[in-house]
Amino acid sequence: MQQSNTYIITFSIILTVVLGLLLSGTSQVLGPLQKKAEELDAKKQILGAVLDADQLKALKPEEILSFYESRISSKVVDIEGKEVTQNPDGSPMVAEKVNVGKNYKMAPESRLYPIYVYHTEGKPESVESYILPVYGAGLWDEIWGYVALQTDLSTIEGVTFSHKGETPGLGARITSPDVQQRYQGKQIFDESGNLQSVSMQKGEGKDYSEDSHKVDGLSGATITAVGVNNMLKNYLQYYSSFLSSQKSGQQTEVVAVN
Amino acid sequence: MSTETTISEIKKPAEALLSKRRKKLVTDPLIDSNPITIQVLGICSALAVTTQMQPTLIMAISVIFVIVLSNFVISLMRNTIPSRVRIIVQLAVVATLVTLVSELLKAFAYDMYKELSVFVGLIITNCIVMGRLEAFALGNKPYDSILDGFGSALGYSWIILAVAFFRELFGSGSVFGVPVFDTLAGFIGDDFSFATNGLMVTPVGAFIILGLIIWVQRTKTGYVEH
Amino acid sequence: MELFSLGIRSIFIDNMVFAYFLGMCSFLAVSKKVSTALGLGAAVIFVLTVTTPANWLLNEYVLKEGALSWAGDTFATIDLSFLRFIMFIAIIAAIVQLVEMVVEKFAPALYGALGIFLPLIAVNCAILGGSLFMAQRDYTLAEATVYGFGSGTGFFLAIVALAAIREKLKYSNVPNGLKGLGITMLLTGLMGIAFMSFMGIDL
Repeated sequence: MQQSNTYIITFSIILTVVLGLLLSGTSQVLGPLQKKAEELDAKKQILGAVLDADQLKALKPEEILSFYESRISSKVVDIEGKEVTQNPDGSPMVAEKVNVGKNYKMAPESRLYPIYVYHTEGKPESVESYILPVYGAGLWDEIWGYVALQTDLSTIEGVTFSHKGETPGLGARITSPDVQQRYQGKQIFDESGNLQSVSMQKGEGKDYSEDSHKVDGLSGATITAVGVNNMLKNYLQYYSSFLSSQKSGQQTEVVAVN
Repeated sequence: MSTETTISEIKKPAEALLSKRRKKLVTDPLIDSNPITIQVLGICSALAVTTQMQPTLIMAISVIFVIVLSNFVISLMRNTIPSRVRIIVQLAVVATLVTLVSELLKAFAYDMYKELSVFVGLIITNCIVMGRLEAFALGNKPYDSILDGFGSALGYSWIILAVAFFRELFGSGSVFGVPVFDTLAGFIGDDFSFATNGLMVTPVGAFIILGLIIWVQRTKTGYVEH
Repeated sequence: MELFSLGIRSIFIDNMVFAYFLGMCSFLAVSKKVSTALGLGAAVIFVLTVTTPANWLLNEYVLKEGALSWAGDTFATIDLSFLRFIMFIAIIAAIVQLVEMVVEKFAPALYGALGIFLPLIAVNCAILGGSLFMAQRDYTLAEATVYGFGSGTGFFLAIVALAAIREKLKYSNVPNGLKGLGITMLLTGLMGIAFMSFMGIDL
């Protein structure tokens, strides 16, 4: 049987309206929950740089949020290390809202660089470590992470890495805690104060505990390892103005407002 | 997308809730007309997520949800759908259901949402879904359609779970994230160890495992393709 | 240069079939003869090259959070990304239909070659996958176009190569249970290994 055009059009319109209402309804209901899940995920990653995976796992979602609230303060700087307090449209700058991945596509000079300060509970001035987001390219796709520096601004307190599509079991191992632990205690500056970063070596199974700028590599994932090395080196370089200004004046004033 | 099981409706006043015919609707797709191994449908989204058991399980549940509900909805509307636009109507219904799944995952299982990424969306183009709608739901009553969808989805699920089991076991040495071989080593002794096979976690491993599963299964059922 | 390397990446390294398993249904079903594989491959290249940028425009100016800001400040905060799946598939289906009609009218010869594949393509995972990956990866319009074309070409290469092997395979003595799908999966795996040698090329 062939239906008339009017019938087909009416049918399509009704279907569209019903499905549209259904979808927008769900999106309205679930929207806040999704926002919360996204926020939780981002904060978990930031905290991952200073907390052990087990510690983090033991925390409930609300505990993570309140822990973050009480222990982390954040700001945003530019390539020269000056604090940026406003968005171009005048709204206040929020570090958590800065999308490091989007900024990664811009020239380094025009990127925004968020900084998360991990401090003692209730005392923002007693800093325990600085958590810096890093971003780069792995073998297949983008990789990113957070590096936590101790107050000497050179010793690595901890790192956490994530990736979009590294090879499971090879490059994807950068997310595993035992790879990330290799970075703990390493130095990003040498004795004379030059930025050395920390690099993964080729091959796996050697002991680099004597060398403060080298960590054991990932066998079978040399390119991912090189990607991690470049990511760290580049981003630590971008943050170096901030780090040196922080070092010299420990408490720098807000220099300029964009 | 040529499928065969369009069973003519039997006009009897009261058919048992789980009559023989209805049971067949569910059990047939498990082995004899399995959507993946026999009908060659729905392989697309199946393999990409099978490196580990857990995302595979979530994927399987999502597919079951989508197939059963879309079969049900289309079957309810089967007499009102204008035949000229039926493909797009089916696509719209399926896409809506998939969006629901994706939104739910994003709200309640964000980790899984990230892990499955675009592959949840690709359930829309899973040929099993459209195949069942065309071949069955458009011509059968809602309850039968639900059973049919459920059967096909189960047939799909057990295959991808089997693939995931072997890939995770040999590729990462674990099942559902539990390190099997390390635990075994604890019982047998430290000299027992297992070197994971990197090939298994790459796409190649999925193709080969699936090829072998098909081989075993077809040898058992005696099905020969010409 | 960036675009060129993206193109190469999407053809060889991020190959739709071997790296993401997309478009497997038609890949397996239409790879028995080289001539049909050529037809389907060409149709996929064409459709991907058209739909990926089309969906990019849709995503950028309608669906994304804040994408409607061109319509006025009141719309600036609207986030319609929950409509992404349904809109993408609708656009793809509509474009495929449109292309089919245009080709039929103006190039009957081409229609004879491609025509039967076009309806198949609307539900090809590779096409929707191309659009979803494009949205997820925040490509620009130029990148989206190159990516669409590259992924299509990757699919084309894969399906034609497989069809060529399967034509030869007809003369081999394959165990009964492996005939057809089974041996094809194993073959695809072996081809995947070959394509893996492209990975790690730094572009």
